[in-house]
Amino acid sequence: MRRRLRPFRRRSTLIGLALVLGFCLLAALAPVLAPPLNPDDPWPFMNISQSFSRQPQPPGPGLPLGTTPQIQNMPQYGIAPGQDASFQWDVYYTLVWGARSALRFGLVVTALTALIGITVGVISGYVGGLSNLLAMRVTDAFLAFPVIAGVWVIQRAFYGNIYNPFNDPMTLTGWEAFLYRARIDPIMIAFILFSWMPYARLMNAQARRVKNLDYIRAAEAMGATGGRVIWRHLLPNTIAPAIVLAARDVGGMVILAAAFIFIGFGGNVAWGTMLVSSRDFVIGLNGNPFAYWWTFVPISLALILFGVGWNLLGDGLNAALNPHGR
Amino acid sequence: MPPFVKQLLLRLLALPVTLLIITAALYGVIMLAPAEERAQLYIPPRTPPLTQEESQQLMDRLVAEHGLDDPYPVQYARWLSDLLRGDWGWSPTFKADVLTLLKKRLPVTAELTFYAVLVILPTALLGGVLSGWRAAGRFDRGYRLTTFVATSIPPFILGLFLLSIFYVGLGWFPPGRTGIYELSLSTSDFRAITGFLTFDGLLNGRLDVVADALRRLVLPVFTLSLLYWATVGRVTRVAMIEEQTKDYLLTARAKGLRERRLEWRHAFPNAAGPALTAMILSAAGLVTGVYIVESVFDFNGLSELITKGFFVAPDAPLVMGFAVFSVLLVLPIILLFDLLRVALDPRLREDGLEL
Repeated sequence: MRRRLRPFRRRSTLIGLALVLGFCLLAALAPVLAPPLNPDDPWPFMNISQSFSRQPQPPGPGLPLGTTPQIQNMPQYGIAPGQDASFQWDVYYTLVWGARSALRFGLVVTALTALIGITVGVISGYVGGLSNLLAMRVTDAFLAFPVIAGVWVIQRAFYGNIYNPFNDPMTLTGWEAFLYRARIDPIMIAFILFSWMPYARLMNAQARRVKNLDYIRAAEAMGATGGRVIWRHLLPNTIAPAIVLAARDVGGMVILAAAFIFIGFGGNVAWGTMLVSSRDFVIGLNGNPFAYWWTFVPISLALILFGVGWNLLGDGLNAALNPHGR
Repeated sequence: MPPFVKQLLLRLLALPVTLLIITAALYGVIMLAPAEERAQLYIPPRTPPLTQEESQQLMDRLVAEHGLDDPYPVQYARWLSDLLRGDWGWSPTFKADVLTLLKKRLPVTAELTFYAVLVILPTALLGGVLSGWRAAGRFDRGYRLTTFVATSIPPFILGLFLLSIFYVGLGWFPPGRTGIYELSLSTSDFRAITGFLTFDGLLNGRLDVVADALRRLVLPVFTLSLLYWATVGRVTRVAMIEEQTKDYLLTARAKGLRERRLEWRHAFPNAAGPALTAMILSAAGLVTGVYIVESVFDFNGLSELITKGFFVAPDAPLVMGFAVFSVLLVLPIILLFDLLRVALDPRLREDGLEL
């Protein structure tokens, strides 16, 4: 055990672990750190003042990180149709609650993509033959598909009613109501459907590498079923690189989702939505890019640190699980 | 026929198969949507804006006419054959033929992608080889730090900061693709041959256009390249480190070959394989990156079709056209990296690529 834990004493791994735990803590303590107005249905944005000014308010008493004007014309769960758009958003509040949405998005997407990819890869690799050829062809075809197009297709196909500003979301029924209530956005579905391929390729190669080794052969000779061989023998010995990949993916997925929200897809990663609203103020109104620094620096930093944390954790896991390589 | 030519032909043959699988999956996703939604794929060209009632009638008629209640394989085959005949549908949002829309914007995106790949490949391979060859040296430490920083900064945030520094602050690199040249380019004496502004400018003898286009490409290409440069560079570095433990290098060194020759002539071609494979795996991600960067820097490329009027009206033909077209943009990139792999690795020429 001591030997196993040694890579975790590396400074970079410790930093990564601290960052990830920090964000988890931020998410868990969100109601304490930034009390929501309505504790039953916390929304990651806090509307501050209602005035006609779209000028961000600088940090001051009661507003640790100032405000940024609420964005307009962006589909966003929770904005009632026709809601007045002259609100300001509390930056600190979104920084805290955004950790929750980021973790939720990253963990759900990564867990499901890893599950799909590992299942496809291991089964096709172990069974081999024609099914392997077929599965890998399908995997390669999906690899050629830009996820951004997938987001668009899914948004168009399933979210017509949900994003319709003239619909009251409370009148939705069936799966539309489910998607709305569970706050599942098109980006999440598209990421799950169109980013499992690396796991499939990785696990396929792993399965083919070990399936003719003695211990697998021995298990088969003892009469174990295919499912049991995969579950008890093959997976535990081959899954390490997929775990490393997954750890790195959590951050990457959230950053990519934020980028999609930024260029105009609506989504539920609150940091991304807030960055859209601060876009106009990054360009700096009087030649000084940092004139309105509080509208984007804290959120950008949170996003960057979120990615760095998971990346470092992935590197640490890699060193721990795969002591020979890298 | 040499084996690698056969392999390349096989690769080319595999492209339509890839396309077939992906369009089938795509249409499968669309099939989950109600038939009225899909009826929009068949809105006739130049349809004027309709009232809700009229559009309901039109949709019902289209569902009946095009058999949108048929089973999936029948509908998919019908849609695919339309696609192959060049009938990609009519976009109500842009009031234009979808294929025409896509073809008009392709050169912008392709030009950006072209320059990005041109920057990424040499710099990533060079950096990875130099740092991997002397791992843990001073250059390697600096390189690892740089790639780490480069992979940590999300491109869209980087793009914004670059704009605010180099456009607002210094006024060096403006956003947008053409600026005031837009007007002079639409006149008849500037003939668009390739659609790439830099190439067309040269062919037309308009160096000022070339200079302006290059100036406007600097920031987007840099933003786009940074992340992929770091990713590919890291893979190359690790591959170089692994090559150093191989016996063939020991033999070559024992024979007294010079260090530089060992590095570039012996170790590098072997290390380039994993790097190119990494590029192939992230080709689709690269195109997604191009769309994001285009949007940040206000280039009127393919991504304009998504961002403009995204939530205004449902536009199924445009969505499907965009998706299929995006795949068509990725496939040549993949093919290019495959060719490079074959060029660098003689074993692939003998045994062929793994399919």
